[in-house]
Amino acid sequence: MDNKYIDKMLSEMDKDLAKQGMSRRDAMKLAGITGAGMFMGGATSASAADENKTVKSNAKGKIVIVGGGLAGMSTAARLTLNLSDPDITVIEPQELSVSYQPGQTLVGGGIWDEDDIAYKRDDFVPDGVKIVKEKVILFNPQENKVTTDKGTVISYDYLILATGLHLDFERIRGLEEAGRAMSAGDNERLLKALGDDGICSIYTAKGATKTWEQMQKYIAQAKSGKKTKFLFTHPSTPVKCGGAPKKIMYLTNARLKEAGARENAELTFYPNGGAMFGIPEYHDAILGQFKREDFKWHYRHNLIEVDKKNKIAVFDAKWQEKGPWDPVLKDYEVIPKHEKVRVPYDFLHITPPQLAPREVAESDLGSAKGWVPVNKETLQHIRYENVFSLGDVAQVPMGKTGGSVRKQYKVLVDNLIALMNGKTLEAKYAGYTVCPLITDIGTVMLAEFDWTVKPTPSFPLDPTVERWMWWLMKVHALKPMTMYGMLSGRA
Amino acid sequence: MKKIVLSMLVASIGLVAAEGTVPYKSGLLLPPQADKIYEKECAHCHGKDGKATSFAGSSRVSYAVIAGMDAATVAKELKEYRGGEKSNDYRLHNKYGYGSIMRSATKDLSWEEIDAVAKYVSGLK
Repeated sequence: MDNKYIDKMLSEMDKDLAKQGMSRRDAMKLAGITGAGMFMGGATSASAADENKTVKSNAKGKIVIVGGGLAGMSTAARLTLNLSDPDITVIEPQELSVSYQPGQTLVGGGIWDEDDIAYKRDDFVPDGVKIVKEKVILFNPQENKVTTDKGTVISYDYLILATGLHLDFERIRGLEEAGRAMSAGDNERLLKALGDDGICSIYTAKGATKTWEQMQKYIAQAKSGKKTKFLFTHPSTPVKCGGAPKKIMYLTNARLKEAGARENAELTFYPNGGAMFGIPEYHDAILGQFKREDFKWHYRHNLIEVDKKNKIAVFDAKWQEKGPWDPVLKDYEVIPKHEKVRVPYDFLHITPPQLAPREVAESDLGSAKGWVPVNKETLQHIRYENVFSLGDVAQVPMGKTGGSVRKQYKVLVDNLIALMNGKTLEAKYAGYTVCPLITDIGTVMLAEFDWTVKPTPSFPLDPTVERWMWWLMKVHALKPMTMYGMLSGRA
Repeated sequence: MKKIVLSMLVASIGLVAAEGTVPYKSGLLLPPQADKIYEKECAHCHGKDGKATSFAGSSRVSYAVIAGMDAATVAKELKEYRGGEKSNDYRLHNKYGYGSIMRSATKDLSWEEIDAVAKYVSGLK
């Protein structure tokens, strides 16, 4: 852990607080939490076993982790803390694999720079962990082997899949040229295909910077007096951080207001689903915010095509109609209908369809939908008992956030060590995830929830209220917690 | 001793085999390897040289000679086979009735990989 990073982050937080005439201690008190608790992202109760265990297990076995992003690298770190003689290999080809993805919304909104979120894999490899800078393209779980793009065959006793997911831009017609992408990397081809004419996406690191450029361009257009349409989409697949498609909309709104250009802008959200959020309490809160900010929205609209030349987004819109009387059912039939809706845009923020990497999806370890099928509580593969998975690629409901990983990796490590020791798998993931929903520059609604589909706040405060406190946490505390807490296996 | 020598021999054979067959698959965000894509997806019908015009023993099936075709034309055709015809609401591009076969051969290819394989076809002599 490098303290200079933390000192820098804390001093920036102090500056921010000083502007409001507060010290850090006062701010912590205001939130009713201790400094340490806030720094660690809240005193949430983990279902994983005792955090302070000092007894290291003597369990033996070669552990291979495919994917060295936040999930893979944190798991590697925690395993080294819990095994007396760890034999761990992480396979990760991307140099910037551990970059701080939750910060991409803030880069897109012009609050942070790309440098604030770029972190190098090689600076975060835990001591004693072997790193292989290649890409696994073949899985052979019957023989406990994987093969890389360089032809290296690596065998394992235990395998952890943490590959992350692919952003499937090429599925959107008119953007096929973009191909698929991962969040990190230069993504030149993707950015070139999106062009320079209002289409953007914060779902890649480079794309986040470009989003800020495009946003400024169209805010200037609105400021010049021209009516300007801002569109924001949400696809039909599972996505990383379901709040991000809305966060970037709120930040655009904040920047428009700041520029005095809001009255010339129309902001419309086009989600594929029929609600703002899967948790009713948060759905209601967001709907209230949308009305307050004068946003428009159209449910059940899935972006399928972009006509770049004429600046038109094409959506597949779905609805149901009452059909003829069914004498057997003794009720009317319900007929699903859909049609193409063409919407002109000036600025179009795309949340791309997302899927499991093809090498995983088409292997014996993938499911019909591609994601790695695991027991959602123990994170063990449903067919191969020596295989585990976590993070974006795991088939776990509501689990594609860094906040989910923070709970998952502890459960996974406990269960893997239990398996290595021939014991039963007792640690259970309960579906906890968190979405610090940025609603303005300076306010965040901290949406925490789990599989009970109810808010599960870590703090004794109304979770549906937007607070400056959570903005401070999002902007100043969560990154150090992630980069130096989780990636060292401790937070 | 014999055993050790034998196991070393086996191991070295294993290494050679692994080295000779560095695996490649399209659609995995790897830099495109046009020769391997061609061999896997195209050569079966069009021949290694791109000049095959029919299946041996089946005179009713015939293909075009593709060797040396203009790369931009090949790329455009392949993209239409893969993604449908834009001018026709993205319906199947069914030239000569080979639409379904060509779609299944191209469905795992990114546009970047199609551009690479088109260039390869154009370079076949």
